Amino acid sequence: MYQNKHSIFLIILLGFIIHKYYCKEQTYEHKPNKPLRFHVAEFNFDHVSDVYAITLWILLGSLAKIGFHLSHRLTEKFPESCLLIILGLIVGGLLYVTHLTEQKAYVLNSDTFFLFLLPPIILEAGYFMPNRPFFDNLGTILLLAIVNTLFNTICIGLTLWGFQFTPLYGGTQFEMLPCLVFAALISAVDPVAVLATFSEIHVNDMLYIVVFGESLLNDAVSVVLYRMFASFANIGQPNIIVMDIVLGCLSFFVVALGGVLIGIIFGVIGCFTTKFTEHTPVLEPLIVLVYAYLAYLTSEMVSVSGILAITFCGMVMKQYVSFNISKKSDATTEYVLKMLSSIMETIIFMFMGLSTVSDSHSWNTGFVFMTILLCLVFRVIGIAIFANIANCWRLLELTRIDMLIMSYGGLRGAIAFALALVLDEAKIARKKEFVTATIAVVFFTVFIQGITIGPLVKLLNVRRKQIEEPTMSAKLTNRMMDHVMTCLEEISGSGGSNSLRDRVRNLDRNYFKRWLLREPPDRKDIKLLQTFKKINTLTAMRVHDTARGLVPSASTATVQQGIPEHHHLRSHSAYGNVSELIAANLPENTVPDLMSYENHEGEHHHNDAEMHHFLDTNLYSARPRAAIHLRNQDETGSSDDGTHARFEKSYHHRDQRYLPTRLERELPHGPKTISKTVHNANRPIALKNLSPKHTRSPPTTHQQPNPRSRSRSIAAHQHSPIPSGQRTKSISKDSRISPLASTHIENEGTGRTAAERSRPWRHLSITEETGASSSKTANIPLANGNDPNLHHIPLTVADFGGTYTKSPEYMGEYATTTKPEEPSSRPDVRDIFNKQSKDVSEQQDDGSTESITRL
Amino acid sequence: MGSNASIMLQQEDLQNICQQTGFTGKQVQRLYSRFKLLDKRDCGYLTREDLLIIPEVNINPLGERLIDVIMEDYGENNQINFKQFMYLLAKFRQGKIKSSITNYNTRESKLRFLFDMYDRNHDMKIDRTELLDVLKMMVGGNIHEDQIATIADHTIGELDKDGDKSITFEEFCKTLERIDADDKMSMKFLS
Repeated sequence: MYQNKHSIFLIILLGFIIHKYYCKEQTYEHKPNKPLRFHVAEFNFDHVSDVYAITLWILLGSLAKIGFHLSHRLTEKFPESCLLIILGLIVGGLLYVTHLTEQKAYVLNSDTFFLFLLPPIILEAGYFMPNRPFFDNLGTILLLAIVNTLFNTICIGLTLWGFQFTPLYGGTQFEMLPCLVFAALISAVDPVAVLATFSEIHVNDMLYIVVFGESLLNDAVSVVLYRMFASFANIGQPNIIVMDIVLGCLSFFVVALGGVLIGIIFGVIGCFTTKFTEHTPVLEPLIVLVYAYLAYLTSEMVSVSGILAITFCGMVMKQYVSFNISKKSDATTEYVLKMLSSIMETIIFMFMGLSTVSDSHSWNTGFVFMTILLCLVFRVIGIAIFANIANCWRLLELTRIDMLIMSYGGLRGAIAFALALVLDEAKIARKKEFVTATIAVVFFTVFIQGITIGPLVKLLNVRRKQIEEPTMSAKLTNRMMDHVMTCLEEISGSGGSNSLRDRVRNLDRNYFKRWLLREPPDRKDIKLLQTFKKINTLTAMRVHDTARGLVPSASTATVQQGIPEHHHLRSHSAYGNVSELIAANLPENTVPDLMSYENHEGEHHHNDAEMHHFLDTNLYSARPRAAIHLRNQDETGSSDDGTHARFEKSYHHRDQRYLPTRLERELPHGPKTISKTVHNANRPIALKNLSPKHTRSPPTTHQQPNPRSRSRSIAAHQHSPIPSGQRTKSISKDSRISPLASTHIENEGTGRTAAERSRPWRHLSITEETGASSSKTANIPLANGNDPNLHHIPLTVADFGGTYTKSPEYMGEYATTTKPEEPSSRPDVRDIFNKQSKDVSEQQDDGSTESITRL
Repeated sequence: MGSNASIMLQQEDLQNICQQTGFTGKQVQRLYSRFKLLDKRDCGYLTREDLLIIPEVNINPLGERLIDVIMEDYGENNQINFKQFMYLLAKFRQGKIKSSITNYNTRESKLRFLFDMYDRNHDMKIDRTELLDVLKMMVGGNIHEDQIATIADHTIGELDKDGDKSITFEEFCKTLERIDADDKMSMKFLS
């Protein structure tokens, strides 16, 4: 925290020094009699000054944000927006003292704000808009956004104007139209402020979406009203004819619907473009950003609501783009959006504090207090009236407490401020008063309301947003309810929101998805399957975490109920062949959940630790061999990326550690042969050529191989007599090994080695085998990483397994937490594994990273 | 049209229905006219075909299952008459306010209806095959059987507390506590 503060000040100081120096430099250059000489290095701040200042702002904002979050007590009590404004005030004060405020880049001007700062925030909001609550509450949102904003504007404007006849303003005259202009900008709830505040208090979805939706959609109204009154003020009060007012009302529809239309058009074009980006996936995130920004700029160009355009553009794109683009691009898009919006938000609040410190203020106590009071009062009245009207058709009625939070959450923010700044002082004489009053209102709402709304929500016991894990049953039942209600609405002929939604959904499926998606969905319910996949991944991640003792496993306790437990497996000895054994033991409903196995493993923890220690002390210490592997890879592999390299590396670490002992003792019934026969029981694959190599290769590294580990692995493999006649082909040449099969080779290796030290993976191979052989899909290649939807093959345990055995994160973790103990100078073994695992690891690697990033 | 239909609806019948189901007289009349509209052959009851002819019901993945439930649990002999029709719809009235709750539209009865959508053999348990059937209807397409089976197993695993590989009504209700089943299983009846 303190360090960060220091660094912030350091940067500011640096800025000053640079600036001072730069000024001197300029005067220095102007000396005429100085002979020109060649300079090795030149100081050329002028060249970069503006961009430099902007970059420093961004850095300052980020550092401030990082700094605030280092102190939990600070962020618990104060919303981030308040802290940023305070920081902005401090910096602004410093700049004011040093007279740097004249520089353009140091103050918020409305062009910067509307063209650069605002769009990313709104786009993010639109892109992550929870569609269902939004459309479920659309009626209420529209009512509040349009009618309530109109009501507020007119009431506030007229009342403010009315009070000029009292001595409250100290004799300052305010005309009616300027008052209405001011009311138009001050009565709109600000999406940036609402987002910043509501994202910290976690109210329920319905409440959030009603307030936030209102703040987004009222933009159209406030833009129209602001522009209308401003131009009326230009025309002059006496010259206005009725036609102007009629046209003003008409322009509302143009602005609102035009914005929405432009947004949707650009969104659709964007989706359509991503249909063809298969070969240039790096551009995919850019396409989303560029089209959205273009939608915003276009609508600003034709002076319709840009906020509406970019919101709807984001909403449309989210629906289809995420199906088209690769999962990595999807994650990148989401991340970039979050990053941009968060930094822009930071800068906006900082700039607001910053711009407050200036000369262009005119404090009029009466006016400022009246404005704050009227904003509060009419907000409450407006919400009370219109929420009650909305309750007439709402299924889930808004309670009194909801209304209170809705009116209390009506924060004003930077948009109002930026609009106030662009007022034309020649036409509106009281601009300074308006700017001051706007700042006062913004500060009041952001500070007082923003700080107290959290405690208020707690105090009133407002239903919070439930952060719950998705469950399959919930999703399924939800869907079922939708379908049932749709049918019943149709049967009863009441045609409510359910049938409307169903109609939209059908339209979407039959037309939009068909045109806009690369692969039109051939399943009825993608969402349902997606949920399942997500749950799967979550479970796998949790297993992974629990194994390291990070997360208590209580929440997964429910999941393991319906799962066959491993002591139900029948005795091994009765079966001659592993595949037979597994087939025999395969219960009808195999839900491979590793938690069930894990829980029975408690007694091994101790052993594992013991052995870990033993291995640590008795094995050779590590030799720097990462370089060797990497070079190897560069020579052999053509398509390596960082993750792949990392994966390969850690992969080698493990196999070489344990393979030799095992192969030495257990050949010819090595683990590889076993796993292979499990999956390719009907397909002869041999390791004959492999075996001699192995026996030759390992030097007797383990003088004292752990007896326990040996006996265990032998016990596991004893009962697997594989007809040696089947093994006729060389493994290194066998290109027919299906990826899945070779996956299991890996898993055998990793599973076994890992099993010695950490718990859940030791049963991995067993479960994988059960799952895989149950689905008889050993020959189908693993899921294509680029498939935007879902796997074409059934989700088997391989999906589980892939997620955490080959997760690069896990690999990395593993490779670092356990020291590599054994030297590696057996190129033959490595080569064999290299070849086998190359394709698999690539695929797996791909798939697993994606499934993780999706989370 | 409304007045026309109400003539055919006996006055005491109307009152009777209103009392039992909590519908207002106007709502009953409106639903009666809807019933008449569906009842193309004018025989006083609806058959499967009458309901299936509604396009939205026809393409709905669960449409047929719903009609199964309606016909078997609420009607008789694959027919449903107006009274039974009203008892069915009464389940989906809003049950938020105390005064509007009747025997029909309690939360339990709404959940019961959902449960019955799965449980077609009325053994008060959703077993694996029943769940699989519903899943197949909803997911459909060319999804692999095994994948659906895995999903079904997973779902049972989530809900099944006593380990009997099937879901009882209590287990079903418990997991749905977090969902606003009350709201979602209600609709606005026009009046």
